Amino acid sequence: MSETTEVATSLGRGGVEVELRGLSRFFKETTALKSLSMRAEPGELVVLLGPSGCGKTTALRMLAGLDAPDEGNILIAGKDVTSLPAAKRNIGMVFQSYSLFPNMTARENVEFGLRVRGQKSKERSERSDEMLSLVGLSSMADRFPHQLSGGQQQRVALARALAIKPQLLLLDEPLSALDAKVRAQLREEIRRIQLELGITTFFVTHDQEEALALADRIAVMHQGRLEQLDTPLSVYSSPATEFVAEFVGTVNRLRGVVVDSETVDVELVGKVAYRSGQAMSPGSRVQVLIRPESLGVTPANDDGAEVLSRSFLGASTKLSIRNPGGSAIVVEVSVAEAAGVADSANVKLFARGEALLVRPAAV
Amino acid sequence: MATVTPDLQRGAGGEGSNVLRLGKPFRYTVLILVGAFFIIPIVASARFSFLGNNNSFTFSAYTQLFGTPQFWSTLWLSVKVGVGTVALTLALLIPTVIFVHVRLPRLRRLFESVSLLPLVIPSVVVTLGVITSFRNLPNIIYGTPVILALEYVVLALPYSYRTFDSAVQSIDLKTLVDAGQSLGAGWIKLLRFAILPNLRSGLLGASILTFAFCLGEFAVASLLSFTTFPVFLVQVGRLEASQAVALSLIALIFTWIPLALVMIVFSQRRGGRRGTGIESAIESAVAD
Repeated sequence: MSETTEVATSLGRGGVEVELRGLSRFFKETTALKSLSMRAEPGELVVLLGPSGCGKTTALRMLAGLDAPDEGNILIAGKDVTSLPAAKRNIGMVFQSYSLFPNMTARENVEFGLRVRGQKSKERSERSDEMLSLVGLSSMADRFPHQLSGGQQQRVALARALAIKPQLLLLDEPLSALDAKVRAQLREEIRRIQLELGITTFFVTHDQEEALALADRIAVMHQGRLEQLDTPLSVYSSPATEFVAEFVGTVNRLRGVVVDSETVDVELVGKVAYRSGQAMSPGSRVQVLIRPESLGVTPANDDGAEVLSRSFLGASTKLSIRNPGGSAIVVEVSVAEAAGVADSANVKLFARGEALLVRPAAV
Repeated sequence: MATVTPDLQRGAGGEGSNVLRLGKPFRYTVLILVGAFFIIPIVASARFSFLGNNNSFTFSAYTQLFGTPQFWSTLWLSVKVGVGTVALTLALLIPTVIFVHVRLPRLRRLFESVSLLPLVIPSVVVTLGVITSFRNLPNIIYGTPVILALEYVVLALPYSYRTFDSAVQSIDLKTLVDAGQSLGAGWIKLLRFAILPNLRSGLLGASILTFAFCLGEFAVASLLSFTTFPVFLVQVGRLEASQAVALSLIALIFTWIPLALVMIVFSQRRGGRRGTGIESAIESAVAD
């Protein structure tokens, strides 16, 4: 049995179901959250993704009991905890800013939750050893926060949050203060621990890459509302709204004309397949949203489109193409395909995938 | 390994760099002059207090003072009022400042401004205001030195509030409170284990400043007819100059000893930790 599995067994829990029912929060004239409803399955990692001010942290703080909703209910494991104070919810939380108590060592920080629960010193010590070992910091147990790096501090904060055997784990942008390398490393570690412990987790971030890499499901939020709650693949490939399409990944917005119920004729690209729940009459003018990797380029002699610049990304190359009718078109192609077209050369675009969304053009 | 040091000799111009260009002798001269400005009066006072008849050296001013019952009773009264004032100040400051920082951060400036009012309102007005406010309280408060402690809480507020407030600002209080609550701590345990230990220097700074203020305040005590240590000092000064000077030195020492102790304790403790309001508190107290 692996160390983490042992810890999970010792914690004696799987995940719990969490349900948010119509949560709203108003600050004077601002609506921070508007009728947010969602459900997280036991053991699931749900990422709340959105730009600053979209209400994701407000939702998380309500779950933690650090803020109260003006409307709606929160159910954890089927129990309504809306009016329960934070101290009684048994929820572990890791914060964006370093939240370790400066007067305590890493071990004392991890033991804090157990100490306020009146656990004996021996039990506390065993638990903190277990948790510090889980996050790989056993050797730094006696260091004070100011003697630890940012990444180490967040690991201790994670160990501290898990030490109290929480029924739910909340992470509020825990990686945002870290540099890229530590961030990627810790992200994987958080996911590993979450999967092995099987604890239901909510993770707040504004970083789409982080969300796509971590989540079982992503809740994309915008202006206090839930735009879409789905798997990373669905959110990326079948966005429910234009906002989701544009916020998660890169998207080109091009003009087009509907050919039939499955095809649209897009400027500079030609015929592109699409799926639309909305009936589009043939001949109607539309806006077509399409991902850079759904487009390809071939050399051409006419003056339609021209390569403006290129960015080598390692496995692929991103080309910026001049669009005479609007903003530059971004195309992501293989390195070999990109090598076939020179800078400032005329190219022809073609579709190698479906359009993300097709919307009626603004009149 | 290359190190970057400020180039004091080749400043970018302006007054500051001109001063720095004058070099070490100038800086030491300034330091010595400023030091002399503070030390010479103290040394002269000490010398005067030890002068006997025919310029002989004597402890008589001190022995006479220590033998005066009023010396001990007034000192004891000032210490009692000081301790009471510190206790009351902390009881008011801790919840207020923490509540403002955690729940009403937008009102922080307002509270700070209010705390400065005793500096701009004449102390006689504050004294009368406090007396009027507590007029209906039982005699145990109104007719005893407790009223003096109540006065001093208000008058020392500009020093105590700012010192504690700057200590609170030096930590991310809101996140620490959130973290503690999410871990199951109620306010009492949160304050005891997580918040107050991190504000120790601010608490000490506020306490020392308040205590030093109480030990040196004359006007209000005299107005309310309490013979505290400073009032006794003035009374002695009218009769015996050398004793008054000796008394001033004793008062100075009584203020400096706790300050020095705290300074020593904190200079040993700080090793790597962030400093808070203690330095500024001590500096202000010494300057006072």
